[in-house]
Amino acid sequence: MSSSSKAQAGQALWSKMPKANAELFALTYGSLVTELVRDYEDPIEVNTQLDRIGHSIGVRCVDELLSKADLAGLGASSTMCANLRDTAEVVAKVGFRMFLGIQAEVGGFSQDQRSFSIYLQENPLSTFVELPAAGDDDYQYGAGGDDLRKLKYSNLYCGVIRGALEQVNLKVECNIVRDTLKGDELNEIRVELKEVLSDGAGDDYKEE
Amino acid sequence: MVAASFHSPPPPTHRPPPFEMGFLHLFIVNKSGGLILHRPLGPTAPKISTNEWLRIGSTFHSLHAIAAEATPVKLPGNKNSAGADDGIEQIEGRGIILKCLQTRTGIKFVLTAEPGTPGIDAVLREIYVLYSDCALKDPFYELEMPIRCELFTNAVDSLIDQVVNGGVMMR
Repeated sequence: MSSSSKAQAGQALWSKMPKANAELFALTYGSLVTELVRDYEDPIEVNTQLDRIGHSIGVRCVDELLSKADLAGLGASSTMCANLRDTAEVVAKVGFRMFLGIQAEVGGFSQDQRSFSIYLQENPLSTFVELPAAGDDDYQYGAGGDDLRKLKYSNLYCGVIRGALEQVNLKVECNIVRDTLKGDELNEIRVELKEVLSDGAGDDYKEE
Repeated sequence: MVAASFHSPPPPTHRPPPFEMGFLHLFIVNKSGGLILHRPLGPTAPKISTNEWLRIGSTFHSLHAIAAEATPVKLPGNKNSAGADDGIEQIEGRGIILKCLQTRTGIKFVLTAEPGTPGIDAVLREIYVLYSDCALKDPFYELEMPIRCELFTNAVDSLIDQVVNGGVMMR
């Protein structure tokens, strides 16, 4: 299945999804993040919590993608992956399009084909966001003068990808490596495959 | 009640057609073999207690796993070197047909129906969508746990209703 047909599949699925107001979405996420910043103070801890929340979302929404892609007559072929390259395409072209309506690109495969990057030109989570500058005393949440520039505002994505792929037996590690909030020209999420988990009876039951 | 009339009684030969088409049961098994939902779908569904269903669910789960290992058939593009990629998809008997949809996240949706019932596969796929739309989006539903979600069960009922009364309605 080629990359463009995956993009079409993503578009077809997106057109059937119920839509929410983009501002409501961005503001809800914003209030979630600031609440976490207030509660945890340490931006590193906030990143962890965002990842955890994303994980809970990911393990659930993967079924929605798989079931709806199947039902829409896109066939198993649109989401059946032979290798990590296919998986990356489905996550970016089908997943991001279906749930967020945005275009995501895949690239930067490593030599061993075990890691790749997802590039997002636009980020619906951070529509209204400006990270306060380091050492900004006026900023009420950074009480200890803690550097909010360590905050990975959109770390939710990492958790979602990790959770979704975990459900289909791929253990991955995700990281936001470039962020438009920090002055980069686009957002880049690095995904690294750690392990392909096996299911079924497991090796314990196999004969020697 | 009026006493029995002397009119001829209903002909004793009047029996239901050999196979009345209809859905019998839906059960859902999580990836570790636990039953997370069972639901009768029609008036002809046999009455089976929840305990029995728990047993049926885990037995089916094991048979499904064994079937994949035991099959001699390797389809093209098969990924599992030790057996088939997927286990039981269908069991047929004289009075029953059972179809199973295993998702790639490891959940098994199983429908039993009377032979000749059309659209079982399509209904299974619809039920998977309902599960992802209703059960999984309930923030208080925990993965792998029994589904106690009225939204989902009502949706399943109305889906079956639609299929039975509206012919095969599939999108």
